[in-house]
Amino acid sequence: MKTKIKIAGLVMALVIIAGPFRVRASGDGFNDVVKMIEQFYHVKHQSIPLLARAGMKAVSTAARIKGGDYKRLAEAGSVRVAFFEDQNFDSRGQISTFKTSMRTTLEGDWSPLVQTLAPKNEEQTYLFIRDAGAKFHVLVVTIERREATVVQATVSPEVLAQLMKDPNEMGKTLTEDATINDN
Amino acid sequence: MKQLFQTTWKLAPVLMLLLVGSAIGARAQGAKLQMDQLDFLANKASETVDVKLDERLMQTTAKFFSGKDSDDAEIKAVLKGIKGIYVKSFTFEKEGEYSQVEVDSVMSQLRGSTWSKILTVKSRKDGDNVEVYLNMTGDQIGGLAVLSIEPKEFTIVNIVGPIDLEKLTKLEGQFGVPDLGIEKDKTKKQ
Repeated sequence: MKTKIKIAGLVMALVIIAGPFRVRASGDGFNDVVKMIEQFYHVKHQSIPLLARAGMKAVSTAARIKGGDYKRLAEAGSVRVAFFEDQNFDSRGQISTFKTSMRTTLEGDWSPLVQTLAPKNEEQTYLFIRDAGAKFHVLVVTIERREATVVQATVSPEVLAQLMKDPNEMGKTLTEDATINDN
Repeated sequence: MKQLFQTTWKLAPVLMLLLVGSAIGARAQGAKLQMDQLDFLANKASETVDVKLDERLMQTTAKFFSGKDSDDAEIKAVLKGIKGIYVKSFTFEKEGEYSQVEVDSVMSQLRGSTWSKILTVKSRKDGDNVEVYLNMTGDQIGGLAVLSIEPKEFTIVNIVGPIDLEKLTKLEGQFGVPDLGIEKDKTKKQ
């Protein structure tokens, strides 16, 4: 009887300890990353870009990947975008700390695919991926000295396979696709 | 004591499964190099590229390359059986920004019995600066590692699965594998 009580106590303790971590791991990756960027760089995001992006037409890279007429890479209605414009993204020499924070924030559900850093120019690109049933969620974070973009989109495995051919360009291509003005 | 013995006996099959599972896992991980210890170099490097294409992702996407398109058919054949592609590349502005300690942290893993240096490959740019290592378990190729060590650049490519030099050259410039300047006809055996 005493053993059972001890085991029950141990299980309860584990549930209490593991509780907050489980909540953190199952959080919304997109929102978690936006918050993390805001905290690290002391910046604020905008859901709608301040600068007009009318000039951003259907990009040739996306058209080249799909072949022929341009078609969106992301599934309809799946795109989430957060912009940070005209703000200061100075990592103060701690760019690898930021990289670690990014990985920790998305640990669990998301797998890191590509990460490129150029500390001198404060340029960073992160690409994470996770299963979404028959499709995939792709999270792209692009940071430059004065602006940043966080994009989450759902893509089909066929599109993902084509994008995988050049993972270094994948983030740029998906970000351009997500921010294209159709008008 | 009797209760403890009974509990242990009941758990024995589970423990056995765990042991067998971890042994299989350890063998599968044999060709995968540990490279995360190099991450701190990102603070010194002028440019860092880190690519991780794991087994799940490789297998999921490989089947979506159509056999009808000739380019895709070739990619499909090259990727067959590949369990992962891992790349870390650091470019520095000045020489001496990384040390032999960092190089050794990777090289020491390649000194194991399953790894052998098969080729020193001539770079189109700077001569003998790319080394290729092959991981073999019996007559099975477990993976491949390429180290490009230059004064201002340090690149490691680790491919897990059945891969040879010919497949590697086909992957150059694709799937995160940088253009290593490998010329098959100019390679020499060590």
